[in-house]
Amino acid sequence: MATPKLEWRGVSKRFGANKVLDGLDLSVAEGRSLALLGRSGQGKSVTIKVALGLMVPEAGSVLLDGVDVTHQRERERRASFAGIGMLFQGAALFDSLPVWENVGFRLINADGVPRAEARARAIEALGLVRLAPEVADLYPSELSGGMQKRVGLARAIAGQPSLLFFDEPTTGLDPITAGAINELIRDKVTSLGCTAVSITHDLHSARTIADDVAMLDAGRIVWQGSASELDHADHPLVRAFVTGNPAGVE
Amino acid sequence: MRAHWGETLMGFVVLAFAGIFLAYALGVTGRSSTGSYEISARFGEAGGIQPGAKVTVSGVKVGAVSSVTIDPKTYMAVIRLSVDESVKLPSDSTAKITSDGLLGGNHITIMPGGAADDLKPGGEVANTQGAVDLFGLIGQVMRPKSDAAPAAASSAAPAPKAATDLPEM
Amino acid sequence: MPHSAPGGVIGWVNALGRAVLDGVAAVGRVGHFAARGVAAAVTPPWYPRQILGQFMAVGFLSLPVVGLTAWFTGAALALNIYSGGDRFNAETVMPQIVALGITRELGPVLAALMLAGRVASAMASEIGAMRATEQVDAMFTLSTEPRRYLIAPRLIAATVSLPLLTLLADLIGVAGGMQVSKLLIDLPYSIYITNTVDFITRWDVESGLIKSAVFGFIIGLMGCYHGDTAKGGARGVGRATTSAMVSSAVLILAADYLISSIFARL
Repeated sequence: MATPKLEWRGVSKRFGANKVLDGLDLSVAEGRSLALLGRSGQGKSVTIKVALGLMVPEAGSVLLDGVDVTHQRERERRASFAGIGMLFQGAALFDSLPVWENVGFRLINADGVPRAEARARAIEALGLVRLAPEVADLYPSELSGGMQKRVGLARAIAGQPSLLFFDEPTTGLDPITAGAINELIRDKVTSLGCTAVSITHDLHSARTIADDVAMLDAGRIVWQGSASELDHADHPLVRAFVTGNPAGVE
Repeated sequence: MRAHWGETLMGFVVLAFAGIFLAYALGVTGRSSTGSYEISARFGEAGGIQPGAKVTVSGVKVGAVSSVTIDPKTYMAVIRLSVDESVKLPSDSTAKITSDGLLGGNHITIMPGGAADDLKPGGEVANTQGAVDLFGLIGQVMRPKSDAAPAAASSAAPAPKAATDLPEM
Repeated sequence: MPHSAPGGVIGWVNALGRAVLDGVAAVGRVGHFAARGVAAAVTPPWYPRQILGQFMAVGFLSLPVVGLTAWFTGAALALNIYSGGDRFNAETVMPQIVALGITRELGPVLAALMLAGRVASAMASEIGAMRATEQVDAMFTLSTEPRRYLIAPRLIAATVSLPLLTLLADLIGVAGGMQVSKLLIDLPYSIYITNTVDFITRWDVESGLIKSAVFGFIIGLMGCYHGDTAKGGARGVGRATTSAMVSSAVLILAADYLISSIFARL
C-alpha cells in the first residue's frame, strides 16, 4: 500500500482535564477527499488543528507524505506546509488587507513573489471561484458571507496546494449558497487533483464533497467508509446522523 | 492606509512646529557655541562637585565639569574641565571650588595667572584650592574647643576673630 | 472546591499560595513571550511593509497627542514653578527646572502613558480580534509566522518610535515652558533658550531617551501579549484591551522608578 498523504497516529490532546482526542488513528490516501463527521465538541476542529501544526498533541504523531511533522522547527515546517491550504469556518480573512492581498498572502509573504505578479495570480484565483476581478480591491468587511467563503477558498487554492482542509465550509450559509460552495470545493479538489479533508456536520455537504467519510466520537474514529456506504451503515451514531434521530445514542 | 488624512496632516503640523522651534533654538545658541578643550585639576576636597557643574572666570561661565574621579594612589580628586576654546588660560592659573551661596551648589572658579604661556588641551592646572568645609568652620566658631571656653567667656574677642577666617562667599 | 475548601487560616494560606504561583507563572509567560518576540524581531525574515505600517500607526499618528501633552505639561510646569517657586526665588531658574523636569521625567513618562492609552490598547484589540476570528491561525497556515508578521513589527516600532516621540516631547515641552515664562515674567525667548541649553547636559536628554526605549518595548509587549492571549470572543478582546493599557501604564511607572534609581547610582 502506498504511503498515505496524511496520517494521524495515536494522537491524543487534552485541555486541562478534558480529553479531546484519545489516541486517534486516521489516514487519507493521495487524491482522496475525506469528510470528518461528528457531533459538536467531539474534537473535529482539534484533529485538523493538530494536523496543521496549530496545536501540538501530547502523544502520537502526524505524518505528512510519511514524514513526521509533529515537532518540526519553524524552517522545516514552512517547507513541509507549503503545499497545504485551509479554508476556515469564518473564512478568517485579514480584514486590514484588500481581497487580492488576502488571496496572494502566501505568495507575497512566504514565497517572495513581486506584488504585481501576486496581484495577477490572485485575480486568477478569484476567477477560479467565480469572483469578478473588481472584487480584488474591496476589503473583506464589504463582502457577504458567501463571498468571504469564496475568497477564503481562493486564498487556500492560490498556492496550488496538494492538500486542502475545510472547516465547516457551509456553516452559516443559506442552502443555495452552501450548495454553490460545496460544488466549488468538489470542482476545485478534482481539477487540482489534491487530497482534501473536510470537517462537517452537514451530511449533504459530506456527500457532495467527500469520497470517504469518517465518524469521530469521544476523540476516536468510530466508523469509516465510503460516502455511498453512509446510508447502509449499521453503527448507531452514523444511523442517528443519517436519520437525524437522536434515539439510540447515549 | 485609509481615512488617515486628518491625522497625517496633524502629524506634519507637529513635526513642523518642533522643527521650527529647534531651528530657532539653534539659531539663538549657535552664535556662542564653539568648540571646547579639556584640562584637569587635582583637589584635596571636591566637596560635592558633580559633572555638569559650571566653570567660571570672573563670574562668567566658560565651561563645565566633565568628570570627577579619584586618583587611587594619591587619593586626590581629579576633576576634568571642559573649557570654551575661545578662553585661553595662562599656565599658572588657579582653580578654586566655590559655593554659589550658603545653600547653593558648588562650581569651579578659575583665577587667571600672569604667565606668558597658556594651558594646553589636556594640561593640568597646577594651583588648586579645594572646597571649604563651610559647616565645619561654622561649627568651630559656634562651639569653640572646651579648654578655650572659659577664656572665650571672659573675652568676646575670639568669635569675631574666628569669623574672619571664613572664606569669602 | 466549594465542598472541600478548608476554612480559616489554612484557606487563606492556600489562596495566597495560589495567587503567588499564578503571579510567578504569569511573569514566566510574559517573559517567554517577550523572549520569543525579541528573537523574531532580530532574525529574518522581516516584513518591511508591516514594520513601516506600524511606524506610521505607532509613531507618526501619535505625534499630535504627544505634542499637545508635552506643550501643556511644559506650560503647567512653568506656571507651577512661578506660583510655588517664588517662595524661595526659584522663578529665576524656571527654564532650568522646566528643562530638567521635561527631559528626565515628564517627557518620557507622559509620552509613554499617552502611547499606552493610544497604542497598547489598539494592538491588544487588533491582535485579540484576529485571534478570535482565526486570522492568526490562518496566517500560520499560509506559511507566515504570526510572531514575525504581527508581533515583531509592533515591538520594533514601539521601541524605536517612543524615543523619537520623546525627543519631540522634550522640544515642545520646553517651547511650552518658554511661552509661559514670556507671559508671566516677560523672559525673552532667547534668554530662556540660552539658559536651557547651557544648563541641560547631554545625559539629561539621553537618560530620558533610554527610559523611553524601555517604555516603548513595554507598550509593544503588553499590547501584543494581551492581544495574543485574549480568550472568549468580544468580551475577552475588551478585557485584553483594558489589561494591555493598565498593565503597560503600571509597568511604565515601575520601570521609571527602577531605571531612575539605577541612573542615580551611576
